[in-house]
Amino acid sequence: MKVVMVCSGGMSSAIVVKAILKEADKQNFDLEMIAVGSGEIEEILKTSGYDLLLVAPQVKHQFATFEGYANEAGVPIDKVEPMGYTPLGAPKTLLQIKKYSK
Amino acid sequence: MTKFLVWIETKFMPPMAKLAEQKHLKAIRDGVISTLSLILVGSFFLIIANPPIASWAEAIAPYTADIVIPFRITMGLMSIYASYGMGYSLAKSYKLDGITGGVLSLATFLMLTVPVNVDALLPEGQGIGWVLPMGNLGGAGMFSAILAMIFAVESLRFFKNRNLMIKMPEQVPDSVARSFEALIPGAFVITIVWIIRVLLDFDLNNFILSIFTPINDILGNNLIGVLVPVIFITLLWAAGVHGMSVIGSVARPMWLVMLDANGQALADGADPNQLPYIAPEQFYQWTVWIGGAGSTLALCILLLFAKSVYLKQVGRFSIIPSLFNINEPLIFGVPLVMNPILAIPFILAPVVTTTISYFAVKFGIINGFVSNVPWTLPAPIGAFLSASNDWKAAVLVLINIAIAGAIYYPFFKVYDKKLREEELGQVSEEHTIL
Repeated sequence: MKVVMVCSGGMSSAIVVKAILKEADKQNFDLEMIAVGSGEIEEILKTSGYDLLLVAPQVKHQFATFEGYANEAGVPIDKVEPMGYTPLGAPKTLLQIKKYSK
Repeated sequence: MTKFLVWIETKFMPPMAKLAEQKHLKAIRDGVISTLSLILVGSFFLIIANPPIASWAEAIAPYTADIVIPFRITMGLMSIYASYGMGYSLAKSYKLDGITGGVLSLATFLMLTVPVNVDALLPEGQGIGWVLPMGNLGGAGMFSAILAMIFAVESLRFFKNRNLMIKMPEQVPDSVARSFEALIPGAFVITIVWIIRVLLDFDLNNFILSIFTPINDILGNNLIGVLVPVIFITLLWAAGVHGMSVIGSVARPMWLVMLDANGQALADGADPNQLPYIAPEQFYQWTVWIGGAGSTLALCILLLFAKSVYLKQVGRFSIIPSLFNINEPLIFGVPLVMNPILAIPFILAPVVTTTISYFAVKFGIINGFVSNVPWTLPAPIGAFLSASNDWKAAVLVLINIAIAGAIYYPFFKVYDKKLREEELGQVSEEHTIL
């Protein structure tokens, strides 16, 4: 499953993504995930087939914009809960991701 | 406090967030951001030209003018780059051709500066032909560039929507067809600006600058004005929204104008502690947002000594990112979002450190901020470089961390005690805190 997470600069989401990948590894869940900043997300969505776009909580005010990009690319979109956006919240967010896996 | 936080989330945040997502402001943000890497490079040369040791400074003095040339071409011309980037982005957001929008925006902006021929003033045979004065192509021209961009792209959109375009047959390659598409709007825009600037001799650059200079003076040099962004940014973060990405899209052009004015002054030989503006963005970045918005590095250090197992854990996984000014793990981990106890120091600590730093720069105790260096540098290093190699700026950072720590401490104690009690009370249900 291929997931992309967007935050403001792609820095903090990189930390969260790393924790989620580790958790996925532990659970033997096949996951490919990257973190990007809000400036790159439109292009990234266009390029390769992602199964899910996750929006970091601190950029929830841009959700409508991201939703526009996601709809155009035909990628489902969801918000990360604030408590899921820490290394400790990784299992919770992974659970959320799994809901979208086919 | 809880009521106040709910008010921020439901009443204050939505209109602010909407403003930041407004099409023109978004285009301005994208355009301005596209210049940042160039400014970073230009800043680097400015840092080299102002070494921290007097004997080095003397040694390179004869070469200073040559060393700062990359600075003059990057930061000194930043409105040119921004003008293209903004026009590109706005055109794109209207589903118009980005390159056409960018080029038209740039041409409109350049039309505001009249080329001059100074050959008569030069020795015989050393004429250089027509030259474009650079004065209004850097930060000083940013607002003209914004206005020119909006006028150019909106005109392009107007003509396109009404189908007032020259259409090429399908066999014509795209790039050629595109240049013809811009013909009518381009002629319209350039003619209008030409009438205003040349025929009516109205200096739009100076006019716009005279409007924005007082705003910049308030935002850059008045304590209340300097505190406004701090309060807005922390309030937004307290409601869980990236305050900088919202406020920055409105304030960043002005901050860049200030940074450019400071850099130009320094490149022209001003004293590094007597620069025009106190508070460009870098002032906040290095002396206030130490560890991220809310001066949270101090809190993170306190967390390492928490009694609550959970808070200690948050402190452990947040400390490394915090040293590099990334504090989302901490903000959402503690959590600081919608936290009635910690919201008070989260807003208060930056307000106090801003005030202290404001006076430190105002009285020339530390140098003014001139260079844009990567925001992920640890704060003492960033402050040192950004304030043209001033070790006192690094000391100020350490003082500010201590002060922020003292402000956070009593609130941290209360919160730590509360979580500790919850942990002892419901050991088996620890995840409810999560």
